[in-house]
Amino acid sequence: MHTNNENQIDSSHSDHEEVDDVTQIKYFGGHEYDGIKELDNPLPPWLKYIFYVTIVISVAYLTLLFVFHDDDIVQRNEYSNEIKAARAKTEVAGKEEEAKTAAAAPLTQEQILAAGKITFDKICLVCHGKFGEGLVGPNFTDEYWIHGGRPEDLLKIVNEGVIEKGMIAYKSQLNKTQINNVIAYILSLQGTNPPNQKAPQGVKFVKN
Amino acid sequence: MELQKFSYDNRMTRNFAIATIVWGVVGLVAGLLIALQIFIPSLNFGLEFTTFGRTRPVHTNAVIFAFVGNAIFTAIYYSLQRLLKTRIFSDLLSKIHFWGWQSIIVAAAVTLLAGVTTGKEYAELEWPIDIAITLVWVVFGINMFGTILTRRTSHIYVSIWFYIATWVTIAVLHIFNSLALPVSFLKSYTLYAGVQDALVQWWYGHNAVAFFLTTPFLGLMYYFVPKISGRPVYSYKLSIVHFWSLIFLYIWAGPHHLLYSSLPDWLQALGTTFSVMLIAPSWGGMINGLLTLRGAWDKVRRDPILKMFVVGITAYGMSTFEGPMLSFKNINAISHFTDWTIGHVHIGALGWNGMLTFGLIYWLVPRLYNTKLYSTKLANIHFWIATLAIVFYAVPLYIGGITQALMWKQFTPDGFLMYPNFLETVAQLIPMYTIRAFGGFLYVSGFLILVFNIIKTIKAGSFVAEEAAEAPAMEILPSEKSESETGHRFLERKPILFLIVATIAILVGGIVEVIPTYLIKSNIPTISSVKPYTPLELQGRDIYVKEGCYNCHSQMVRPFRSETERYGEYSKAGEAVYDHPFQFGSKRTGPDLAREGVKTGKMYKPNSWHYNHFIDPQKMNEASIMPKYPWLAKKEIDIQSTPGKIRAMKTLGVPYPDNYELKAIDDLKAQADSIAKDLATAGIQTESNREIIALIAYMQRLGVDISNKPVTK
Repeated sequence: MHTNNENQIDSSHSDHEEVDDVTQIKYFGGHEYDGIKELDNPLPPWLKYIFYVTIVISVAYLTLLFVFHDDDIVQRNEYSNEIKAARAKTEVAGKEEEAKTAAAAPLTQEQILAAGKITFDKICLVCHGKFGEGLVGPNFTDEYWIHGGRPEDLLKIVNEGVIEKGMIAYKSQLNKTQINNVIAYILSLQGTNPPNQKAPQGVKFVKN
Repeated sequence: MELQKFSYDNRMTRNFAIATIVWGVVGLVAGLLIALQIFIPSLNFGLEFTTFGRTRPVHTNAVIFAFVGNAIFTAIYYSLQRLLKTRIFSDLLSKIHFWGWQSIIVAAAVTLLAGVTTGKEYAELEWPIDIAITLVWVVFGINMFGTILTRRTSHIYVSIWFYIATWVTIAVLHIFNSLALPVSFLKSYTLYAGVQDALVQWWYGHNAVAFFLTTPFLGLMYYFVPKISGRPVYSYKLSIVHFWSLIFLYIWAGPHHLLYSSLPDWLQALGTTFSVMLIAPSWGGMINGLLTLRGAWDKVRRDPILKMFVVGITAYGMSTFEGPMLSFKNINAISHFTDWTIGHVHIGALGWNGMLTFGLIYWLVPRLYNTKLYSTKLANIHFWIATLAIVFYAVPLYIGGITQALMWKQFTPDGFLMYPNFLETVAQLIPMYTIRAFGGFLYVSGFLILVFNIIKTIKAGSFVAEEAAEAPAMEILPSEKSESETGHRFLERKPILFLIVATIAILVGGIVEVIPTYLIKSNIPTISSVKPYTPLELQGRDIYVKEGCYNCHSQMVRPFRSETERYGEYSKAGEAVYDHPFQFGSKRTGPDLAREGVKTGKMYKPNSWHYNHFIDPQKMNEASIMPKYPWLAKKEIDIQSTPGKIRAMKTLGVPYPDNYELKAIDDLKAQADSIAKDLATAGIQTESNREIIALIAYMQRLGVDISNKPVTK
């Protein structure tokens, strides 16, 4: 009925009493586009409240940051707080761990090698090959060592790395037990003779 | 009043609908391919052109700009004429628009596969194509506004408000984000650097979602839902409030893509808060769509088309609730860089855009061909397959994303990373990727059912090119606002004024966020030890961009203990000041590379490792899902392009010494020779002019500068 041509300037809809049969809600008079009409429903109140609440939250957050300069929500400080908290926590935990290791029955050689292999398979194989046969890094299965083949030589290299050759320092990524175990595992590889071995590097080192 | 006779042009609607279907097949199949490639890297078939770094942009561009883009034009060319009771403004402009857009898509697909890219997500296309997009967009605008200005109705309906906002915002976003300095026909450098580039890019990227995937689809929802269901729109008042609040707020939300990055805190805070405030305006659209169906639910039960609309609109509601949740910094700290984000966007893409497009096609094509849909039953089957597909697609990505993020963050009690090897976290994802690919397969299958159904429908019908219509001439209303008229009702009959007000609404956020990063220096504190790339590193960076490495590797260490322990010092804004474009990335399918070159760091690898790894990543670690890049060792660096690139960088403000471009080639060769020599000591024989050498040089430079000297403000 109320097509556009009939509609003088739309205004209050009070004089248009046409209602939708299904919902009994009034149409907006004169709103009809290609047969589409629009109802005069208000905004759902709950939606309005969600809108208000999100605005209040947002203004509060921005005020904290811009007006009160709350340093705790600046990410630089969030980071240093996180590091501080972690340091305190790990110091305690680290000591407990050490005490536990000391109190526990010493691992058998087999257990040490198994634990060492887990670390090796996570980290070392990337450069030294799956079986220690050597890849970018040297071969662990022959008798030749570039930086010495004593356990204490290996300990130094795992801890400090050989930066100029691409071996990085692992003391910040592995704990002492893990490092000792992996060294034991590496030393156990000698003579295993896997396929695709890298040519020997360094000098021959014979175990005493 | 006398009725005027005219006709609607259905040709362009039909053309765009067919293009939607054709590009839909391409885009969805590309999606399925990359869903498989991500865990079966050999599915690039050994070709550089079909490697993930290049196919992923093809997928995203194809589904966004080709599939959804053509669906938008289909809906607009159909609804605009009918809502305004007039014929489309110009058949010639329609043709230029249609063929121009399809040519752009073809050019995009070819160049992206060839590795021609700007390296900015969803804006990868190079400058000649960007110019073509601008021109075609202007043609579309003239055609749309020409139609609006020659209308027979006095007022413009809510759909058209959304079309207007779409048109102007996409124009603004595209032009400003694409500003670049060409160095050759197919290579350019963006005008923006580092953090500023990231800010502009995500202002664009987020609002491509808002104004390409959302507002035009709200416009088509407002036309097709009442049209198909025969029900009136639930609330005109809600339309007004949610339209204006949505377009005003959306434009501010871009920085939520850069939370915990080196973007200044105040910008991140705006990104978070404006995203949260978007919940109600977004839901306003969902409510107006769903409640319009009040009194038609019995129809919904029977009609697969309405079912598609209901699931689509519900998916819109879900993803616009999830989006703001992901914008909370503490949730984003978990979700960002993981597959959670991919799951999130696909709820919107497969649900909202996909389902609405399917419904649109099923309803429209029979009408254009004056026939009935070939099979409602098949459409119903398509509906159920597609719905199931979304579940199979998204759920594993949510599980995988959260699992991986928690693994990244897990520490042992004595303070070491529980999973120091990144690949351990990747291994957990493989089953999830498999299920996701199955979801993708289902979705593609459903779409092929649509293709069959539509072909059968077209064959059974006869195309109505000119649809006869009649309407009275436009009523002349006073040009001033009358007393009894509401302000908005007045605006609805002044489309140019409407355009101006909408433009102001969408400009505010961008201006407030972008301009200060240029004017206020403290936003990006300079670091004196940060120097421009050497010529070889610059070439390497361009290869990194060309191969699309940023699709899987981020360069942004966030200020979390779990990241500084894994990667090294967190990234600073001042580090990226010479990066045109920035390469922060948005996904970590592989590890972050921001500190890759730091010798004393945790990520460092020797040149020989990189060489072997590029050629065969699985040789270095069987579980790696990175594709092999053997061509890098064969292809030669385009050395002759070096002086031009250095000159361009200088024009953009990168401080190379005077006349450095004359020395650049010599410096490049010297550095390349030294890397080749180092590789030779590790037993690798290679020419020094190969791309792999430049890429290694770039890897070894990443993150290095900051560790050379202390930071100065």
